[in-house]
Amino acid sequence: MAAVTLSNVVKRFGVYEIIHGANIDIADGEFVVFVGPSGCGKSTLLRMVAGLEDISGGEIAIGGKVMNDVEAAERGIAMVFQSYALYPHMTVEQNLSFGLRMNGNPKADTERRVKRAAEILCIDELMQRRPKQLSGGQRQRVAIGRAIVREPQVFLFDEPLSNLDAELRVQMRVEISRLHKELGVTMIYVTHDQTEAMTLADRIVVLKAGNVEQIGAPLDLYDDPANRFVAGFIGSPKMNFLAAKVVEADNGSATVELVNHAGARLKKPLQTTPPAVGADVVLGVRPEHFFDAGQGDCDIAVKADVAEHLGSVSYVYADAGGTELIIEREASRHRASGDDLVVSIKAGKALLFDTKGARIR
Amino acid sequence: MRHQNATAYRFLAPYLLIFSVFWVWPIISSFLISFQATRTVPWRWAPTFNWGRLIGDPAFFNALKNTLLILVIQVPVMISLAIVMAVLLNSPLLKARGLYRFAFFAPVVVGEVAYSAVFRLMFNLNFGIINKLLNSVGLPSIDWFSNVTPAMALIMIAVTWRWAGYNAIILLAGLQSIPDDVYEAATLDRVSKVKQFFYITLPLLKPIIVFCAVLSIIGTMQLFTEPFLITERGGPGGGTETLGLLLYRQGFRSLNFGYASAVAYTMAGLAIAITLVQLWLTKEPK
Ligand SMILES: Nc1ncnc2c1ncn2[C@@H]1O[C@H](COP(=O)(O)OP(=O)(O)O)[C@@H](O)[C@H]1O
Ligand SMILES: [Mg+2]
Repeated sequence: MAAVTLSNVVKRFGVYEIIHGANIDIADGEFVVFVGPSGCGKSTLLRMVAGLEDISGGEIAIGGKVMNDVEAAERGIAMVFQSYALYPHMTVEQNLSFGLRMNGNPKADTERRVKRAAEILCIDELMQRRPKQLSGGQRQRVAIGRAIVREPQVFLFDEPLSNLDAELRVQMRVEISRLHKELGVTMIYVTHDQTEAMTLADRIVVLKAGNVEQIGAPLDLYDDPANRFVAGFIGSPKMNFLAAKVVEADNGSATVELVNHAGARLKKPLQTTPPAVGADVVLGVRPEHFFDAGQGDCDIAVKADVAEHLGSVSYVYADAGGTELIIEREASRHRASGDDLVVSIKAGKALLFDTKGARIR
Repeated sequence: MRHQNATAYRFLAPYLLIFSVFWVWPIISSFLISFQATRTVPWRWAPTFNWGRLIGDPAFFNALKNTLLILVIQVPVMISLAIVMAVLLNSPLLKARGLYRFAFFAPVVVGEVAYSAVFRLMFNLNFGIINKLLNSVGLPSIDWFSNVTPAMALIMIAVTWRWAGYNAIILLAGLQSIPDDVYEAATLDRVSKVKQFFYITLPLLKPIIVFCAVLSIIGTMQLFTEPFLITERGGPGGGTETLGLLLYRQGFRSLNFGYASAVAYTMAGLAIAITLVQLWLTKEPK
């Protein structure tokens, strides 16, 4: 088991800089998820930890030891690949034991480790099959089993569930979570799926275009995002963003008026110097933070368009003067499209961003 | 449905006609000819005449021995070389990959006569570059064309030169179909590059290797160009005569088509037999 530390890690492919100085501290035994849109550099970062890509700048340490010049094989990590990367010509059992056999590990110990991994993952029955003869979920288990057999200090997962169907994905997600509890080993998990990140992580690292946008516990990111990108990326359905203008500002608060709703004003207490009067800002409101008319600090009228009824809640897609809003409602199960709807926003439940996307606290 | 099929066959008819006349018929015809005495006019039905001669003919056994000797030495050497070439060609460290790929493939498209002439010059006793090179490292010149062993070696070298690159290109395609992440997984499993080659690359490449071996066996069974052009019709003294050459000599020099057909059927039969054994030996255990 080991902590993992990334200090100012930079990655360049030729002239292209892909990772621009990442600083991430991962505690021993922690489950950390790297999340971000496709192409933001999650895999690259993970592969640098694994030693499959070299490090163009900065330092990566595992268990307090700088790993920049340590071979991948010697880093004490195991990785589960998106495509599983099983050895196609070997049986499941051979897949699990291959690394140990090649390194002259004592036979009895190899057998013990393989048996244990097979038990943890319930793949005892499959030991004599080849990867071709397994379903996607079974292959994924074997890939995880191969990692367990190595008894690594750190587990790395690169989008391990993205080739599975939705139902299996949920099931495997729970199993990976259980595995983490059982083994208590540091795990770094890469995904573009914020739901996976929210459900699995002790802490989430949000990446965008090679930059770390924010690091924090799932609910902290949800409640207190550092910027508009994180606010929009974390949470499903997405946070709504409404254009607004500062109409009054004093020490400790700013009053903003929604651009599409003349007269809809909200006084937002602030800890920092408020923006100047007249400045454009963006108000972020999560779907579940629209209240019935009169229940909040400021009412706005919208036109309901489409409603999705999920049973426990409904999501109403509404038009607010040209901006589409997603509104979560419990009471409007049978709302028809084209209906006028008045909803209310609370200052305490709305977030303020400047036009560059930075949070105004 | 029947009507549609009939239309389809009418469209296929021109091809089927040509295929029958120039493929199917010669195959059947030569089989029948192999049972006829063809040195008399008119040809006479004599089922044991050619086949009887074949099993007692020293020239046939000489050609058979030469062909199999070339097969047994040249094919494994060439396939091994082709695998090494393919692995090098696949290395990310290699620069100017396209150039190498072209260079490896070029021997196949070079005219046979031109290539043979160049080989004859290169291996010339007095002024060939090969003997010059041997001399420069203190070795004596070799008379490649007058002694059987060097002449056989020369044939094998020439055939290997011509076909190794071709096989390497086929093997390269096989190598490229092995996903990178399998090797990455092996690297993380602490498996060395050499072991990765023997325990991952070779087993996964096996079907392609078998394919190349089968192609090469069939090719070598029919070997003709090199002993005909480079060692001058199987010289010295029949020392490099192959079955292909014997067939040619009997059929088109002596106009003994019956005997030539028997040789041809023997070649085909051997190629099929060896290939089947090969496929059986390398069958995936199920
Ligand atoms: N070997 C490579 N050479 C050049 N660019 C690469 C290479 N690998 C990845 N990239 C680039 O780096 C960026 C990040 O890639 P990646 O880490 O795979 O993203 P993610 O896993 O977040 O989807 C992408 O823009 C990709 O095109
Ligand atoms: Mg990726």
